[in-house]
Amino acid sequence: MAKLRAAAVSFLNAWPLTAGLERSDRIELVLAEPSRCAAMLEAGEVDLALVSVGGLPGGEYEIVPGIAIGADGPVQTVVLAGEQSPAIWDEVFLDTASRTSHVLTKLVLDEMGVHPKYTLLPAAEGLARAKGTKGALVIGDRGFDVRANQVLDLGREWNRLTGLPMIFALWAARPGRVGPEDVQELSRAAQHGLGIRTELAQRFAAERGGDPERYRRYLTQRIRYGLGPYELQGLEVFLERAAAKGFLPPMKLRFVDDVVRSHKPRRAVSVDAALQKAADGGRLDPDEAAELDEKAPLLELGLAADARRRALHGDGVVTYIVSRNVNYTNVCTTACHFCAFYRPRGHKESYVLSREELAAKLDETVRLGGVEILMQGGLHPDLGIEWYEELFRWMKRGWPTINLHALSPEEIWHIARTSELGLDETIGRLVAAGLDSIPGGGAEILHDAVRRRIAPLKCSTDEWLTVMRAAHRRGLRSTATLMFGVGEESAHRVEHLARLRELQDETGGFTAFICWPFQAANTRLVPGDGSAHAYLRTNALARLFLDNVPNLQASWVTMGGGVAQAALHMGCNDFGQVMIEENVVSAAGTSFAMDSDEVERHIRDAGFSPARRNMKYERLAPASAGVAG
Amino acid sequence: MAISSLAQRALERDGLGPIRDTVLSGERISDADALRLFEATDLAAVGALANHVRERRHGDLAFYNRNVHLNPTNVCVASCKFCSFARKEGETASPGYTMSVDEAVEKVLSRRPLGITEVHMVAGLHPTLPWEYYTELLRRIRAAWPELTIKAFTAIEIHFWAEKYGKSYAQVLTELRDAGLDTMPGGGAEIFAPRVRRKICDDKATADQWIEIHRTAHRLGIKTNSTMLYGHIEQLEERVDHLRRLRELQDETRGFQVFIPLAFHPEHNMIGKAFPKPTGYDALRTLAVARLYLDNFDHVKAYWVSLGERLAQTALAFGVDDLDGTVLEERIYHMAGSTVPQALSEKTLHELIRAAGRVPAERDSHYRILKRFETAAA
Repeated sequence: MAKLRAAAVSFLNAWPLTAGLERSDRIELVLAEPSRCAAMLEAGEVDLALVSVGGLPGGEYEIVPGIAIGADGPVQTVVLAGEQSPAIWDEVFLDTASRTSHVLTKLVLDEMGVHPKYTLLPAAEGLARAKGTKGALVIGDRGFDVRANQVLDLGREWNRLTGLPMIFALWAARPGRVGPEDVQELSRAAQHGLGIRTELAQRFAAERGGDPERYRRYLTQRIRYGLGPYELQGLEVFLERAAAKGFLPPMKLRFVDDVVRSHKPRRAVSVDAALQKAADGGRLDPDEAAELDEKAPLLELGLAADARRRALHGDGVVTYIVSRNVNYTNVCTTACHFCAFYRPRGHKESYVLSREELAAKLDETVRLGGVEILMQGGLHPDLGIEWYEELFRWMKRGWPTINLHALSPEEIWHIARTSELGLDETIGRLVAAGLDSIPGGGAEILHDAVRRRIAPLKCSTDEWLTVMRAAHRRGLRSTATLMFGVGEESAHRVEHLARLRELQDETGGFTAFICWPFQAANTRLVPGDGSAHAYLRTNALARLFLDNVPNLQASWVTMGGGVAQAALHMGCNDFGQVMIEENVVSAAGTSFAMDSDEVERHIRDAGFSPARRNMKYERLAPASAGVAG
Repeated sequence: MAISSLAQRALERDGLGPIRDTVLSGERISDADALRLFEATDLAAVGALANHVRERRHGDLAFYNRNVHLNPTNVCVASCKFCSFARKEGETASPGYTMSVDEAVEKVLSRRPLGITEVHMVAGLHPTLPWEYYTELLRRIRAAWPELTIKAFTAIEIHFWAEKYGKSYAQVLTELRDAGLDTMPGGGAEIFAPRVRRKICDDKATADQWIEIHRTAHRLGIKTNSTMLYGHIEQLEERVDHLRRLRELQDETRGFQVFIPLAFHPEHNMIGKAFPKPTGYDALRTLAVARLYLDNFDHVKAYWVSLGERLAQTALAFGVDDLDGTVLEERIYHMAGSTVPQALSEKTLHELIRAAGRVPAERDSHYRILKRFETAAA
């Protein structure tokens, strides 16, 4: 197979995207100056190139989804410099290297009411002449060394102007050249490169001098590499404003198709026989499960799953927990396509909860009879393990009875990476500080072909499972989740269940399985089938396939009480959470709310007896006082 | 035609074997059987049996139509405690409205570009409007849009007008039919049991009157729908009694097209405070039991405006073959707190139906298939 040729710049900020391609057997990397990258792409000398956003209009390119080079605040390497305030500039020298920065300069100065003359000049010369009423644009690694009276960071200025991240560069491909597998390869490379940013910073410092720590901070805290809903919005606003002012021709973004279709042959399976076998407690293999997923009628799956639920939980009790979801920050660098909750760091709606806010939430949780805090957040680039350790100790000191159910595998990886610790040490320290159990969020679909498409920068399937294995071995229990309806196939869902079952055979650490559909509002990912039928089918199949996971939660929060009641008759034995707060799902448009009376009414009405439980699924004595409101 | 061994086993386990045998042999189940099914807590097994009956009648088809709702007035003299829609004449805090005939006709005609086939029209019991208002309204719509089906006026309105204008039910219905009325909705049935009616709607037509009006309509060739408002103060026995009276009239006239159980919605009305909205479980079992008990009804409808899209879609596995329509301009349930969308696009309806493994079929008001959508449009 002939390799694709990809051109990229050798700037430090591109290294995390390109380092992982050095040994790729799909893609051959060609390093060049920015203008040369664009020229090679235009001439067809390469199939794709990491190009400046300003070079997109006019060339009928397809954009590789999910990955970009951007910033959500100061960027350091795209700056205007001068002796005097930009307000009095009458001439600005533009570094010849990047059209995007030219446009950004004009947009920012325009907005400030400054309309200087623009002159093209190499950066070194421009900087030397930026005296008096003259300013200069400096981009790339030179920006690190700019010493001037007045330095205007254009990443920060853009963010102030729009509240959005600025996207500088992305992978653009000639139409039809790049396939889904190549997108996966680029995502895999990005994920690899992002994992070794510390090493890359050291290598860069060794090659051209400077402080490796400064470069590391630049790569981990300044530059963002995701192209999620907010980044896309930033990109679109940039292109729209540039077009409105006549700085760039108008354009519509087109993306490379990134859906990898599976072609694995499946052996012939009898639906009836497989259903009967599963209902009797036999272990399904993946071929049988995929066949059931596609062909078995809903109620047949439901009846078989109900038989299993009766065998495992025959006393007719349906449990639920009273707990509070706390999203300690919405700042996140991962930029998953399906997420409506995250905000880039500089965004006006970004937050990190203060101790006062947390204390109020914890007090209220105890008052309302809550026994657990489910704490998750984004991958905040500034929060290291010490921040979490202090937080956990503080929480355990003040509210010792509350179970701390916190940090999805993705967050644990993030903490390990930002703090440069091994996984076991990270988990060990978090447990020592008070972590009791971990939620199974972020699993989405544990199949890398799907994962890389919907969340290119999220941890891989193996990484997710590695955290769970390590946590289980430390004695932590966790839940396991699945988010369906992102355009995956049944083989992908079954693979997900198979990976969970395999790990559960090894560790026994999963207490429960929970699934829900992807919710499309406020996100850009095109939804697959997230209907009630799909939900009930997925649940029932999970009850049949996951013969070693004891509990299945019905997700009334996403599906509504009625569908959740139906799920109780098709495999589920738990009604989830009476929750005092939930942000992530509601950001994407779902708004079902129930208090514990209402939850118990639903459980009773469906023919079961309600009981409260803790995270370990131990039943609690009926609450003497305090009903969650 | 059989049912799966899993369903067989589940029904046996719950002692529903005899009812299963009755249903599978095509015989009629008794009132006691219906009550037994209501009380059974094995939702999936009861659903499988109802689904069997549904598929025996309709295969994989799931019906809907393209319709618009029109409520020309919400001024009403009745004081139904479950209603959030009606206003008294002269009420100032939250005043009612009454459209002129011109306004109402124009409103219907403005929907013409949307390709609708039916207008569903229900008014209140207006104390002062003249009889000609209604006949004129029908005549004008009929003349302006001859091929549109006019499904209009509940038995409650028919009874009110018969009393108010000194006409017999047959006179009222004949004049309406001659003015353009095609079919009638099934509203106002609530729960037939007098105990319940006295408490929730004691100043409108009685159960006997409701039945008599539908009987008369059927004799005049007017097909009608039937409903049951459940989930408030009624007992399960009273639901079965309600279904029995519908089944008996249907044996006599064959004039009902469909049965539609309606979940009580509690917001902004007088009994809502004491009674929470019935759960989705109740909706599913009620639909399934109705499908099994009403053996002389062709169709059972899940009204998505009341249930929400998710539950309505789920109901397609529990005996339901009809999801109502695109329903533009629904007001009555929305004023009682329904938060579902005001209308569903045909595309969304198709997606819901297909995702449930069924084939969408657009129908007219007489359940004739206008178009089957075997495969998804590209």
